[in-house]
Amino acid sequence: MGTMRDRAAIIGVGNNQYGKMTAAVSPLVPLAAAFKNALADAGIQRDEVDGILVNIGTPFGVDYDQVSEAFGLDIRFSDQTWTHGRQMSGVLAHAAMAVDAGLANYVACVCSINWARAGTVGDHGQFQDDREIGGAHFEHPYYGMTSPGGAWAMAARKYFDRYGATSADLAEVCVSIREHALRNPLAVMKKPLTVAEHQASRYVCEPLHLYDYCQTIGGACVVIVTTPERARNGPHKPIYIAGHQGMCAGRAEATGARPGLGIHQQDESYPVPRERDLLVYKMAGVERSDIDAFYTYDAMSSIVWMALERFGFCKPGEAWQFTKGGRIGPGGELPVNTHGGLLSEAHVSGWNHIIEMVRQLRGECGERQLPNAELLQWGTNRGDSLILRN
Amino acid sequence: MTAQQDIPAKPLPAISDFNRPFWEGTRVNEFRMQRCNHCKKLWAPNGPVCPHCFSDDYHWEKLSGKGKIASWVVFHKLYHKAFANEIPYNVAFVELEEGPRVIANIVGVDNKDIRIGMPVEAVFEKINEIVTVPKFKPR
Repeated sequence: MGTMRDRAAIIGVGNNQYGKMTAAVSPLVPLAAAFKNALADAGIQRDEVDGILVNIGTPFGVDYDQVSEAFGLDIRFSDQTWTHGRQMSGVLAHAAMAVDAGLANYVACVCSINWARAGTVGDHGQFQDDREIGGAHFEHPYYGMTSPGGAWAMAARKYFDRYGATSADLAEVCVSIREHALRNPLAVMKKPLTVAEHQASRYVCEPLHLYDYCQTIGGACVVIVTTPERARNGPHKPIYIAGHQGMCAGRAEATGARPGLGIHQQDESYPVPRERDLLVYKMAGVERSDIDAFYTYDAMSSIVWMALERFGFCKPGEAWQFTKGGRIGPGGELPVNTHGGLLSEAHVSGWNHIIEMVRQLRGECGERQLPNAELLQWGTNRGDSLILRN
Repeated sequence: MTAQQDIPAKPLPAISDFNRPFWEGTRVNEFRMQRCNHCKKLWAPNGPVCPHCFSDDYHWEKLSGKGKIASWVVFHKLYHKAFANEIPYNVAFVELEEGPRVIANIVGVDNKDIRIGMPVEAVFEKINEIVTVPKFKPR
């Protein structure tokens, strides 16, 4: 079997100061700040960047051509994804493969999101509306099914009903992730959250409450990837991409759910996890129990349960018990999203999670620093995963 | 200007060559789905080939229109302005007796009384001469 293990490394990360932006602010503006910060962090010059990969794109992100022109880059390797956050880890893997294959020396992975430019995601005229067979979150506008949260709410309801979990159990996920955010000066959510406040908050798409949703405060992130040889010359210790597995797709997969839940066309008897869901550990040469903290795409709180079950941290239907009592919070057995995630830090499509993982592995996280962080895992309900090591 | 006048018309389904037989079916109050002539399985959502055996030999078949609720949600926040008068409204996944699951609204029952597993059957809401939208009610 081929491997990506330790064949590429992250040498520099940068972000802007996350916060609300008006629609008048071009996403290029926060990205310029993030790009400068990442170059300085990596100890390289702008003209050394010869690869660029973009996640998200217009209308609320940036496109590869405008970034390259605007920032005066001279690029020989570029690509860009669909306008969804789910592509984050695949983009980073693409960067790793590109430097390993000699297609570029330094690839800048960039994401900049100004949510104010997205309008009300779910109002009329959205690009999802008329896609053949429905939108990416089951959008069916003529039924009023028009917002991404609707998909997660469908999966959460099914999960509650099938396994006996409640919204109050889910609130514990939000509370723990907020606890992490309170230790992170970058996080936009600054106040503690309680289960009672979560329960008293309004429904957005029932059964999900306001605090089950991430806030739509974006920002910009840049992650610079190069070969291990080049990485060793940098000012920081390289953070190696030890393992990766791609995002799964097909009739076993459904937005907001892990396989086997019974959403959309999912077969409820489908086994979780399958062997191929765990190949990332094999590639990295580690055991799941070696993982120091877990990071996932928490656009909605319920995704945390789906991801924990998909990677076998607990059995199907048991994540709602696993996440009780602060087990995923600061100092817990398996801290999840130690920066506050999309729920409480900012929504930069998961790139802010990668930046946090890098800073944790370098030991730069101050009050929230994990003791002896050596192996961190990104993984989502869709099966994509990255293991980073220092 | 009244609030009523600010509410845009509800969106209509995008009818294409891909799904036209489905919408022709709802016009005569039939719930149709594609069935493979090779492996004999049904599938949803509509597609150009059978996802089970990849055959492109299929026909559109009238189904029972009966099923049960597989999951459901209630939109409390107004996203699509056309639904301003309907908030809070439900959307459900209905698992048809024949197997596949489809998205629709549930009518004829209070949102608070909807349950997973509730038996439902299709009803047809005529929007105009071309479009009739299937919904489901408890049976």
